[in-house]
Amino acid sequence: MRKAEIGATTALAVHSLCAAGLATGYWLSHSLYSSSLITDPAPTLRILTVCEAPVVILLFSWLRRDHDRCSFIKAVARGLIGLPIGALINAFGAIVLGAPVGLKFWPATIYWSMLLSLFTFVPAACVFGASKLDWQQILSYSKPSNIVDYMLSVPAHGAIIGAWLGAWPMPLDWERPWQEWPICVTYGAIAGHLIGMLFSPVLIFLHRRHIRTKTE
Amino acid sequence: MRMRMRLKAAAAVVLCLHCLGVYLFTRGFLLTRTELSAFSLPSDLLQAQAPCCSESDLPSTTDQDLPGWTPPTVDRVLILIVDALRFDFVAPSSLFETKQKWMDRLSSLQHLASTHPSSSRIFKAIADPPTTSLQRLKALTTGGLPTFIDVGNSFAAPAIHEDNWIHQLLHTGRRLVMMGDDTWTQLFPHHFNHSYPYPSFNVKDLHTVDNGVAHHLVPWLHRQDWDVLIGHFLGVDHAGHIFGVDSQPMVQKLEQINAILQNVTDIMNSQKHLENTMLIVMGDHAQTLNGDHGGGTSEEVETCLFAWMPRSLPSSISSIFHPSTCGLGLNGKNICTSTMQQLDFAVSISALLGIPFPFGSIGRVNPELYALSPGSWDRQWLPASFYEDPSSDLKTWKNNYAHVLCINSWQVKRYIDSYSATSVMGFPSDDLHYITKLYNEAQSRWSDSKNSSCKPENDTIDEFSDFLLSFATLARSAWTEFDLKLMGVGLGIFIISIMFHLFVFERVHSLSNVYDNKTQKSSNHLQIYVAFLLVAVRAVSFLSNSYILAEGRVANFLLATTAIGSIRSSLVYGKIKKHDLVFLILIILIRFGIEKGMSKQAATNPFLNYDSGSDFDLKWLPSLFEGHDFVTLLPEISPMIILFLLSFLSCKYITCTVHSRYIKWVVTVGTMLSYSFIATFWLSERSFAPKMVYVIGLSLFVLNFVLRYLGILEKGETVQRLRSLALVMVSAWSPTILILLGKQGPFVVLVCSIAGWSIISSKNKGLLDDCKMDPISVMQWSLLAICLFYQTGHWCTFDGLRYGAAFIGFDEFKVVRQAILLFVDTFGISHILPIFSLPFLVTIPNSSSSKGRDKTVIFLNLTQVYLLYGLITAITTTFTVLCVAIQRRHLMVWGLFAPKYVFDAIGLLLTDVLICVSALYYC
Repeated sequence: MRKAEIGATTALAVHSLCAAGLATGYWLSHSLYSSSLITDPAPTLRILTVCEAPVVILLFSWLRRDHDRCSFIKAVARGLIGLPIGALINAFGAIVLGAPVGLKFWPATIYWSMLLSLFTFVPAACVFGASKLDWQQILSYSKPSNIVDYMLSVPAHGAIIGAWLGAWPMPLDWERPWQEWPICVTYGAIAGHLIGMLFSPVLIFLHRRHIRTKTE
Repeated sequence: MRMRMRLKAAAAVVLCLHCLGVYLFTRGFLLTRTELSAFSLPSDLLQAQAPCCSESDLPSTTDQDLPGWTPPTVDRVLILIVDALRFDFVAPSSLFETKQKWMDRLSSLQHLASTHPSSSRIFKAIADPPTTSLQRLKALTTGGLPTFIDVGNSFAAPAIHEDNWIHQLLHTGRRLVMMGDDTWTQLFPHHFNHSYPYPSFNVKDLHTVDNGVAHHLVPWLHRQDWDVLIGHFLGVDHAGHIFGVDSQPMVQKLEQINAILQNVTDIMNSQKHLENTMLIVMGDHAQTLNGDHGGGTSEEVETCLFAWMPRSLPSSISSIFHPSTCGLGLNGKNICTSTMQQLDFAVSISALLGIPFPFGSIGRVNPELYALSPGSWDRQWLPASFYEDPSSDLKTWKNNYAHVLCINSWQVKRYIDSYSATSVMGFPSDDLHYITKLYNEAQSRWSDSKNSSCKPENDTIDEFSDFLLSFATLARSAWTEFDLKLMGVGLGIFIISIMFHLFVFERVHSLSNVYDNKTQKSSNHLQIYVAFLLVAVRAVSFLSNSYILAEGRVANFLLATTAIGSIRSSLVYGKIKKHDLVFLILIILIRFGIEKGMSKQAATNPFLNYDSGSDFDLKWLPSLFEGHDFVTLLPEISPMIILFLLSFLSCKYITCTVHSRYIKWVVTVGTMLSYSFIATFWLSERSFAPKMVYVIGLSLFVLNFVLRYLGILEKGETVQRLRSLALVMVSAWSPTILILLGKQGPFVVLVCSIAGWSIISSKNKGLLDDCKMDPISVMQWSLLAICLFYQTGHWCTFDGLRYGAAFIGFDEFKVVRQAILLFVDTFGISHILPIFSLPFLVTIPNSSSSKGRDKTVIFLNLTQVYLLYGLITAITTTFTVLCVAIQRRHLMVWGLFAPKYVFDAIGLLLTDVLICVSALYYC
């Protein structure tokens, strides 16, 4: 099984590819369109999403759970379907937490939730599909049996917590342009996601050592 | 039984501690001063038989044309106020250690001061905190010391109700012209013959106000139909706020002001009708190098006052006064400066213009400013018999000044007497005795000197000055200085009460763990930590003024976080329940309500830059439905429909919950009647209907207590009994609160009851026993209460009170009755209802395990819930108190932190009282 081969280094490699996708997106928006997140958030978020989406979907489809029953194409399709569903859930959550709903914010909100969906929902959709048990397991950490679980759950939680923390500067009266929705929330989410991606290989490493000592 | 006593005793102790803490902190922090509505009249001097002048003494010029207390010494006064004018903007740079680039920019004033040393003067004017424009303008015109609570006729409107020299000018027939900052027209809406107000709150706009003043100023200087002209420049203040003092825009601004001033002095020198006009260039307060002001540091209070008369004086004034600070000016000549209190400005200008001194002024006529006017050197003042031999000019002036000071002292003494007689908190009696003694001594010496031939003017002047300065010191300590000791003790008591609260809570908690099986102990602990983490986040957020302004949104954010967290755990342990989703939708609805309230608040609050347009650009919506009647009818009909739904639901719930047949009947009929009265009121505006609602609510409330103590409500199982008790209590209160909230009422009450139901049903997740206390639910309950406060259009300032609610059912104003209604409206939905309905959290209907439970365990849980709720409120309020104490010199302390403190303190005491009442009622 390929599952057994995944180690901390593989996880690190996958994560660094994802980060590279983000960085490419950022560089593209900067150099080609000379737009930054602060000046025009919606187009920048769109470029980031477009660059990140193929990387995430392809990588995590390759890591899919049931290799025998589920082909690569099918996993990719699951990821593509998961993208809008996850975006919907993320946008709803953001609105519950207080994101503005005015018409002029719609494009930014849509692209932001797509990006967050790529951080949280899409990887799990590619790996698990619609398996309820797996989803519950990854949410609860009750049985961290699998290395992929770490790779999915730690960066996703990091992104969500980062976005939550990123919302706090918004009401401050500093009158900086980055305090607008969704700029600082995006920064928070990306930062949290990156920290989660750095952290998950460490956890995987510890987990493997733990198992090894247990078996010995 | 011991358990039941525990909650009552704990609640009572906590209430007492909080009362003490609030009282002490308030005494130290909220400086109060009673506004007296009396006005000085020109005839006062004669009627009151003031000791300063017998009838024969009165100057001959005081006829019907110019009624005043002193003869006018100048014809006109031109007051140019430069907002946030620092002393070092005007004074020569040689007075300071290093020359900075913002110094010596107002060269036209320095030039005048050096070339006309006898007719011009630069003063270092010391302002009293709070150094905000509104309070300063109030102080400059009334001559008093405005505090946070100027107990007066109105909280909301900023218009000045105390006596002031603007009012006196108007009543002595002078013509007033104002240009610049529109705060003046807010303070004096009907006083100016001509006014050119410009908006003051757009800090980023450096030029509109200044250019407007410059545009209107010069034409008015050529006209003759004015007596007092006020020009208020704002550019320096705004440049400081945005760029700081050490910046190029500030230098440019100062140079622009200098050019305007140069132009003004040139005109004054050339125009004949401006010969006897005094030019006063002054700041209302100063600023720090960052452009901040509001506090009491020397940088903020040391502003400047420059006075100049085109007409020169008989002799140099510098001969009278003590040597002052001097330094070399730009042209190499010496420039001298003196120091004065801004407090003295109002009475000095009244003396110069010859109008009655403002009733509440506590300043002293400034000798140097008074001496600048040539009129004060004339011998017109006293009867000729007073001067047998022609004395020197100086002697004449001293006589004149002593006379003015005598009237000044008499007026201040009159204010002290009437203030002590009427105010809420007077002065310490020892100090009053001392002041009175000083006054009597000075007056007796004055009358001696008048009768005897020798005239020791110097002594008289000194004694009057001594009296006036002593009283100013006393007033300052009472009205402008925080009592840090009292504040510290108050804060300490708050902290002690939290310790006590925690101790009791821990005891009850461990006791309940003894009764319970101990398997779920750890998870319950985790929930307590999460709840306290949320409390901590909320409490720490009060450190910033922005989060206080956005408190509703912060509470909503945290509530949404808990809701999302509970959905996550539902996912982990099974399926998402429908009440979880309903709760999320409700949070969105509540959030729109809060944002609507904030946009209303932004209209009145200059600090809140809330972009209300961004969220509600749904203006296209009505145009879609244009021509359809139901759109216009919808806001009218929907409250009725929801009201009907509510009455149906509550009656249904009452009939299936309350078991005593008699009570069931009474409460159902009472509720139905109340709701139909509310509907009647909305349809027909009859005022008897709300009164009936209040009467029914009150009698149900009293009846509940009576029946409770007669033991009629004791039937049934413990859980059912508790639930019916809570239900009866809530239905007694809700119609009153609903009608006070107006047409939004039914919607809000519906939202709040559904949200409460969601919280109750989503608690525990099957992890814990159904009747066990869940800290997260209590936290959600408290956050929901805060959200409801903001959703119903309240906010924590006095203009956030919904005054209209006080007049529902009544037309005429009676203080106590209207205050009670306003109180119930403000705190009803956010304190009264949530606290009385807390027992629902431990008595879930239709739960299998709640049947036949031990009575003690249920009461233990109820005690825990109430203790925790009280603890959450106490912790947040303690943090508010702490933040207010830390930010007491903040720019917004009076606009934001102090009202927040008042609301939180009242809310805390109310919470404690309600917990006590609940303990009496439920346990």
